[in-house]
Amino acid sequence: MFGKLTWDAIPWSHPIPLFAGFGAFGMVGAVVLFLIFKGYAPYLWREWITSCDHKRIGVMYVFLACVMILRGLTDAIMMRSQLAVAYNAPGYLPPDHYDQIFSAHGTIMILFMAMPFVIGLMNIVLPLQLGVRDVAFPTLNSVSFWLTATGALLINLSLLIGEFAKTGWLPYPPLSELTYSPGVGVDYYLWSVQIAGVGTLLTGVNFVTTILKLRAPGMTLMRMPMFAWTALVSVLLIVCVFPIFTATLAMLTLDRYLGFHFFTNEAGGNMMMFMNLVWAWGHPEVYILVMPAYGIFSEVVQTFSGKPLFGYRSMVIAAMAIGVLALLVWLHHFFTMGAGGDVNGFFGITTMIIAVPTGVKMFNWLFTMYRGRIVFRTPMMWSLAFLVTFTIGGMTGVMLAVPPADFMVHNSLFLVAHFHNVIIPGVVFGAFAGYTYWFPKAFGFCLDEKWGKAAFWCWLIGFYLAFMPLYVMGLMGATRRLQHYDVAEWYPWMLVAELGIILVWIGIACQIRQLVVSFRHQQELRDVTGDPWNGRSLEWSTTSPPPAFNFAVLPRVESRDTYWIAKQRAIETHSLGPEPAYKDIELPRNSPTGFVCAFFATFLGFAMIWHIWWLAALSFIGAFVTFVAFAWRDRDEYRIPAPEVARIDRANRSARLAALAHLGAAA
Amino acid sequence: MSITETDFAFAGGAVADVPVAVHAERSVASRRIVAAFGFWIFLLSDVVMFSAFFATYVVLVDMTAGGPSGKDVFNLYTVALETACLLVSSFSCGMASLGARARSNFMYYGGMIATFLLGAAFMLLEIRDFAGTVAQGAGPSRSAFLSAYFALVGCHGVHVTMGLLFLLTMIAQVYAKGYRADILRRLLCFALFWHTLDIIWVGIFTVVYLLGVAP
Amino acid sequence: MSDSETGVHLYDGDIAPGDERADGTEIVEGIRGYLVGFGLSVLATVVAFFLSGTSLVWQPSIPAALIVLAIAQMGVHIVFFLHITTRPDSINNVMALVFGVFIVFVLIVGSVWIMTHLNHNMIPMERIMQMQR
Repeated sequence: MFGKLTWDAIPWSHPIPLFAGFGAFGMVGAVVLFLIFKGYAPYLWREWITSCDHKRIGVMYVFLACVMILRGLTDAIMMRSQLAVAYNAPGYLPPDHYDQIFSAHGTIMILFMAMPFVIGLMNIVLPLQLGVRDVAFPTLNSVSFWLTATGALLINLSLLIGEFAKTGWLPYPPLSELTYSPGVGVDYYLWSVQIAGVGTLLTGVNFVTTILKLRAPGMTLMRMPMFAWTALVSVLLIVCVFPIFTATLAMLTLDRYLGFHFFTNEAGGNMMMFMNLVWAWGHPEVYILVMPAYGIFSEVVQTFSGKPLFGYRSMVIAAMAIGVLALLVWLHHFFTMGAGGDVNGFFGITTMIIAVPTGVKMFNWLFTMYRGRIVFRTPMMWSLAFLVTFTIGGMTGVMLAVPPADFMVHNSLFLVAHFHNVIIPGVVFGAFAGYTYWFPKAFGFCLDEKWGKAAFWCWLIGFYLAFMPLYVMGLMGATRRLQHYDVAEWYPWMLVAELGIILVWIGIACQIRQLVVSFRHQQELRDVTGDPWNGRSLEWSTTSPPPAFNFAVLPRVESRDTYWIAKQRAIETHSLGPEPAYKDIELPRNSPTGFVCAFFATFLGFAMIWHIWWLAALSFIGAFVTFVAFAWRDRDEYRIPAPEVARIDRANRSARLAALAHLGAAA
Repeated sequence: MSITETDFAFAGGAVADVPVAVHAERSVASRRIVAAFGFWIFLLSDVVMFSAFFATYVVLVDMTAGGPSGKDVFNLYTVALETACLLVSSFSCGMASLGARARSNFMYYGGMIATFLLGAAFMLLEIRDFAGTVAQGAGPSRSAFLSAYFALVGCHGVHVTMGLLFLLTMIAQVYAKGYRADILRRLLCFALFWHTLDIIWVGIFTVVYLLGVAP
Repeated sequence: MSDSETGVHLYDGDIAPGDERADGTEIVEGIRGYLVGFGLSVLATVVAFFLSGTSLVWQPSIPAALIVLAIAQMGVHIVFFLHITTRPDSINNVMALVFGVFIVFVLIVGSVWIMTHLNHNMIPMERIMQMQR
């Protein structure tokens, strides 16, 4: 009746996951009950859960990422603490727990923290930067978000009911096959990642279509802001490679559920094919994450240097080159698997070549800053830290790209240090910079600068303390994923790393404090005009937050940095352009499709994990019926009448006129 | 980067009285183009997924673990019939598309029903073929080759089945709501889907079946 | 974005993938297109099936011939059924297709190249399992 599910699935005899699981779900449950009893449920349902507005969906994505970073960093501090005490000692985490923790850490950080963060920022910003009202497929956007949330829910459920995979964040066979992982752990991984992967693929389709087909009148591709270009490369990569991941995980699922022999030891299976396919996805995946971050840095560096981006054309070419090259390097993740000199040499060279367009971008950022007037606000500080720290990580990457060198340090702590040294300054600092930069646009008030700087310094110093020792230990021979060790030379470095992660947690505490303080002081921090940073691109021409329709009238775009040019003209002439002819605006209606689909997907995933076949079948049918019901609706838009549009826009115009007058008075 | 006074629009600026040149200017695409292009991108991603299964098949094609190989298991006569069904169904799908464009109920319903029957025939042939192969001890759990074969061809079959459900839904939608713009958009997407499945089948019958039995 | 979005002239320089430029009066033309595509596909299919079973052709050339016929038939489908052509209004659709084909090529050729080398260098699985025991 309930498949493999029994009461023993709850880890009664393991205090850590037991308390963590009950604690986490207890907290979530308490928050949900609080919201319901305080009467917020109808508002949340109407304005957020069923919303198909890209700005709302983006905020929800970023919120999910922020929640999941807490889980990912908890895993991190647990690992570092274990290693800080497990010198010639067993430590406090038994090996099979430790294995689940490092697997969950990687899976959550990459797929449920970094991806949602980056996708969330793209959601909030891109349609505004492109001068349009929404993405190409707004309801699909909602479905994407809720499917990602389903994946996150399932992976966290494994804490309380059952177990997680012990294979690492990529479930290499034969360890991940049924013979060697008979429990539900790998199944939790497979279903949560597969479901979230569908959501991500749909996001890719959505954004490729949006960027290529929905831009304001006159906005050719070469007039788009840099963030839009890097977002385009990122979502093109999503469309190209996520299907490979889907197929590979499906093959592993078939092996585990139906006794297929893709990657088994017996009957001719070839587990090396898994590594090959999964890294054909896995390497482009990290570029999917970092490209939007590069775009964020381009936007931030321009704005806070007061200069247009240096070398726009070469930045575009570099972005496209990185995108194409990203598809041609994947073997460098398994140089040691024995493909031989020819193959290793080819992929080693392509890997090293990728450093070139990346270097072009670096120099363009530096030249953008040169002779600019740098404003040291938090987003700019994240960017400066990125420029230095990412370069170090990139250099170790070029070291690793040399196959003979990689043979010495493959799967050592050196590797762990390298990839954190590129992902954290690249993606995480980029996400934090974007978060601070666009927070006022999304919410109408800025984040507190003091706490932002405190968080920045804690994160930066914490990062260096946590990861530089790993380079040293890696060169001393320390392997990754060790649960205990007995080498005296490593011990002091492990302690330094522990200090680092504690500092990072203090940084997180500063960020939480920053949110609370900013919310409390929102009137003082309010963004009145919609352009708090003196920005260059179109999103700063709207109010903060923008109205549902983004622009009263779609802007006509005649050049790059459209908004900046118009702003300069307005400052010179002390006036805005003439008032537009306001017309009715039609916007996509809200839809519960996304939430309902995810509801069924959650039960489908859970049922498949625990082999509750009748529930799986029912859930699948439910999801299909939802899909058809959505396709059957007659009215998919609602209308905002012209007078309402006019009212909202006139408020924006008068705020901007006031700012102009203020400028005039100062001048 | 010149701008003209009247042409400027931002944060409440005016869209100018549109001069003729604007018609050639890059702008927002129509919903039909947006829907079809998006679906086309999705289909290309689906093709990439199939290519992962193709790659796996090619890598594992010789790993028969002492069991049956393609020659022992493939029935070219059935494959020829299946190919004929799909190819003719592509044609009838084209007729249905033309029928929708011309608002001809005969062409549309006739084409769609013919497509459905041919697609269903394809599925029946394939399921029977699979059942027979499994019955002779050559199921997917026998060897890596058979796993790869069943997964690749089975994945195509699953897509065809979903296409049939899509098809039935489109028949029902036109019946219930007529040739409305949004339904025509979906029909365009269905046609893209159905034709792409036939393209993938060309790859399958060539690489899997014909090359599989070649000496 | 509504079709009735007022004040914005919708860009009609591109065609939707799968669409033909027509105003509904050239149904006969449309049927002709599909018939030609169908005929060419049948031809390619029949030749492929024939080649695979015959001994009249130099055997080593058969795999190459079959691949060429398959690619040709895919091209026929793309042009005649999907209406993806190199006309200016279909260029974006073609570029997407080319990019997709590139990925497929890299994945399949790359995987086969890598796996062949790995397999060549690897101890047979049975021996490894023996070494375990």
